[in-house]
Amino acid sequence: MILDGKVPSGPIDSRWDRHKRDMLLVNPANRRKFNVIVVGTGLAGASAAASLGEMGYNVKAFTILDSPRRSHSIAAQGGINAAKNYKNDGDSVYRLFYDTVKGGDYRARESNVHRLAEVSVDIIDQCVAQGVPFAREYGGMLDNRSFGGAQVSRTFYARGQTGQQLLLGAYSALMRQVDAGTVKIFARREMLDLVVANGKARGIVCRNLVNGKMERYVADAVLLCTGGYGNAYYLSTNAGNSNVTAAWRCARRGAYFANPCFVQIHPTCIPVSGSHQSKLTLMSESLRNDGRVWVPKNADDKRPANEIPEEDRDYYLERRYPAFGNLVPRDVASRNAKVVCDEGRGVGATGRAVYLDFTDAIERLGEDAIRDRYGNLFAMYEHIADEDPYKAPMRIYPAVHYTMGGLWVDYHLMSNIPGLFVLGEANFSDHGANRLGASALMQGLADGYFVIPYTLANYLGGAKLDALSTDHDSFAEAQNSVSERINKLLAVNGARTVTEFHRELGQILWDKVGMSRKQDTLHEALDEVRKLRDEYAQNVKVVGRSDDLNRQMEVALRVDDYMEFAEMLVSDALDRDESCGCHFREEHQTDDGECMRNDERYSYVAAWEFKGRNAKPELHKEQLEFKFAEVKQRSYK
Amino acid sequence: MNEISVKLRVWRQASADAEGKLQDYKVENVVPDMSFLEMLDVLNEGLARRGEDVIAFDSDCREGICGCCSLTINGVPHGRGTGKTTCQLYMRDFADGETITVEPFRAKAFPVVKDLVVDRSAFDGIMAAGGYVSVNTGAAPDGNQIAIGKDIADKAFDAAACIGCGACVAACKNAAAFLFVGAKVTQLALLPQGHPERERRVIRMVDTMEEAGFGNCTNEAECEAVCPKEISTAHITKLNREYARALLKLS
Amino acid sequence: MGATGLSLIAFLIGHVSGNLLIFAGEHAFNAYGHALISNPMIYVAEAGLLLLFVSHFVTGIVLTKENRDARPIGYQRNDRAGGASRKSLASTTMILSGLVLLAFVPLHVNAFKFGAFYESAAEPGVRDLRRLVIETFSAPAYTAGYVIVLAIIGFHLWHGFGSAFESLGVGYSKALKRFGQALALIITVAFISIPLVIYLSEGAL
Repeated sequence: MILDGKVPSGPIDSRWDRHKRDMLLVNPANRRKFNVIVVGTGLAGASAAASLGEMGYNVKAFTILDSPRRSHSIAAQGGINAAKNYKNDGDSVYRLFYDTVKGGDYRARESNVHRLAEVSVDIIDQCVAQGVPFAREYGGMLDNRSFGGAQVSRTFYARGQTGQQLLLGAYSALMRQVDAGTVKIFARREMLDLVVANGKARGIVCRNLVNGKMERYVADAVLLCTGGYGNAYYLSTNAGNSNVTAAWRCARRGAYFANPCFVQIHPTCIPVSGSHQSKLTLMSESLRNDGRVWVPKNADDKRPANEIPEEDRDYYLERRYPAFGNLVPRDVASRNAKVVCDEGRGVGATGRAVYLDFTDAIERLGEDAIRDRYGNLFAMYEHIADEDPYKAPMRIYPAVHYTMGGLWVDYHLMSNIPGLFVLGEANFSDHGANRLGASALMQGLADGYFVIPYTLANYLGGAKLDALSTDHDSFAEAQNSVSERINKLLAVNGARTVTEFHRELGQILWDKVGMSRKQDTLHEALDEVRKLRDEYAQNVKVVGRSDDLNRQMEVALRVDDYMEFAEMLVSDALDRDESCGCHFREEHQTDDGECMRNDERYSYVAAWEFKGRNAKPELHKEQLEFKFAEVKQRSYK
Repeated sequence: MNEISVKLRVWRQASADAEGKLQDYKVENVVPDMSFLEMLDVLNEGLARRGEDVIAFDSDCREGICGCCSLTINGVPHGRGTGKTTCQLYMRDFADGETITVEPFRAKAFPVVKDLVVDRSAFDGIMAAGGYVSVNTGAAPDGNQIAIGKDIADKAFDAAACIGCGACVAACKNAAAFLFVGAKVTQLALLPQGHPERERRVIRMVDTMEEAGFGNCTNEAECEAVCPKEISTAHITKLNREYARALLKLS
Repeated sequence: MGATGLSLIAFLIGHVSGNLLIFAGEHAFNAYGHALISNPMIYVAEAGLLLLFVSHFVTGIVLTKENRDARPIGYQRNDRAGGASRKSLASTTMILSGLVLLAFVPLHVNAFKFGAFYESAAEPGVRDLRRLVIETFSAPAYTAGYVIVLAIIGFHLWHGFGSAFESLGVGYSKALKRFGQALALIITVAFISIPLVIYLSEGAL
């Protein structure tokens, strides 16, 4: 089936404005009659719930954590892009749009990206008005820095804690609505199923994580803002509770999952140190503004970093990409780190790391200036690596970080299930095959603050929704299926723990669907994932009860979903027989090892329909058109 | 690297209403590069393998920013050391054979949910009472319309860095939340955006704090000592000043 | 607490300054005492002082009760955090030192204000408070008790002075804290010097 993104027509720079004029509205007095469920309270969820609350809708916001303020958006470090051109360095909405489309290697939907670039400027204004303490210059104006994949300074930041400050801004707005009575927060709830009645998304079934009780909530629309699925790889920079379950449960109810193989592997993370490791820690990309990436020229050079003279160092990014240098996009930087480590030139105990060196910047600007810019990141590095990065270069290695893929949505951010909207990282729409730095925060807030208030009204204003209660059969069916899954998992009582399975799944994905992929190993991965999934069902050991706070069981359900989801992820990587952005198929590369796209055959969004546990997922395509951004071979040389 | 073993005394409590007690565990093969929480993961993995109920504790980002972790380790919230959350505490800071006591954050306003998990929703309540600027989406002027000096912006950031973990409350002998409230009140009192509702904010937030059952500040700065973001008690003084100012202005 | 505490400290400074006149001879001391008690405003001042005392004590007790209630289940192990912490033995025992003072003040007022009325031999009509003071502090038990209580007052002030400035929103600084501690020490030493000199000189002040 060919999918329709419902993109409005006309010139791209006025599409959104004209479309806003055309969309339906809901009268202010009628809004409180509409119930809206928002699942997830990160940037997308909190901003959506707050904005809808302000407008007068009746909002229920759900978070898996004990407070909306802890959602993982909080960990974003570096910044948020906006086409303000405060620096007078040639930025514009068009350039941000173009950089994002190109950065995503021409696999994003043009219209969505342009809208994102347009509202980027409003986001900054909104956040400043909320009291977000962005970095300022001495004259009192907002400061900017540069990020990968751009030749302008358009990144707004709050030291190395931009995500935290933006999330706290959205959270504050949300709590204001709690006080106003328009939003009710449901904390420590995990959405375990979507309720679809008469073809429309009408509610959710959650588990109360404190007492294990199943809870049913009915609504007129469901907004899924549950982030990405990076934790399918076990080790990632995601938080422990970030997971695919809510999105996957929607997929199982018929929502299409788009481009699942587009997984961003971030170049600057602290390397793995041992098998005990529970997560990987990102070092913001902003560090590449001042840090220089290098490895020894010779594989057998085992001297400490400070003793290796300039002439024996290979600043490989600066050498290969003179125009962008250390600020090439993430996929390029990651792949190059892998290549030099594969050549045996990696550093550190495991040989899977490269240096990120600040010596030059410290000499040029002084230690205080560096501390002012990156103080918290340096401290974080020192906590973990037990080494002072002001004195010795950091050791970094790529790690799974962000997922560009997600549930398929149209221009209105609505999935193929009417009434199910998907916002932020959980959807697929804006980043194509690679996300540029400082664009995730932008997208989450764009969706929540400035898109959904319009498109949701358009849906509610036009939808004919029957009165529905939680006694409806669709709720009973959903709840029963959840309870059944839980009981089944508890009954297995096998020999291996959930974590062991998760770690093994992650290893398969990392080795075979990581920074580089090829057909034969993808086929292997598919077999291994299926085998592991079957073993999981037979041999997992989940302790504790279902009517209790039971972390083992929470994770067991999520890993169960990763097992199913992983199959779709690998299938997508197999289907996309080209290299683009993060998706590097070894069969398709240029002579000097860069991605080789195949626009003729693969310029589409791959939206997968789940067809059952042991059936092949079905592929639906949305053809991508690039009328306003010139399609080129991506080059950062 | 040399592995060590540690003896843990962990607070176990089946549910909010159940009686709790410290229970002893031994953890072998601890790698010094493990974080404290990873050491607990190893312990839990062992418990799970033996079919025992695992120790419940909150954690999420594991990089010191979400504010989930809430353990009092050897009598100090987040353990000894400055500017760290529990997840940033590493086993290299402990000696081989050391006995480590692990308890939940303790306060009436933070009731235990299970084992080491506590309910900190009282903080959300305080935030709902005024920890915001009342500006609707779409109603904002240009971000550069109001110039804010770098020193003010930096100070506001220092206050805004709070991660809401509640260690300040846990460390305070009075279970006071002045540092948490002070940080938010200060951030918004420093910035011009926060001025229109300055008085209403501080009065409502302080009143809500008191109703939630937190204690009073006796200026002993244990809060600052344990704060992962090293937020200064100067914010408490500022809170007191703001409160007095609001009372005067409103009377 | 801050405002009443600082007012009480101001009172203590006045009180001890007056007391020290005892070293300036019989006339100076008794004349000072006479000036105080013969002034009709003394009743207003005493009432004000009583109000300060009572409100300081009552607030202190109420707040301490609230603070204790704020943590119904305590820690099994409770260490000081160190670093930036200013927690001290003095800061953690404010209620105890305060309660000692609560018990002491009525006894103290009873001993001196309502103590034996001696008339000055040199100046008829003037109360010879100096004699009363010397007689009182010639008793070793009373003197010892007085010295201990005054040391506790100093201890109370050790934390109280700096803390009051924070509660009042003035701010914390190391210098202010040190100043407060020095003040606490000076006040205590000044108060204690009188009984000690009297006792050690066996009343031959």
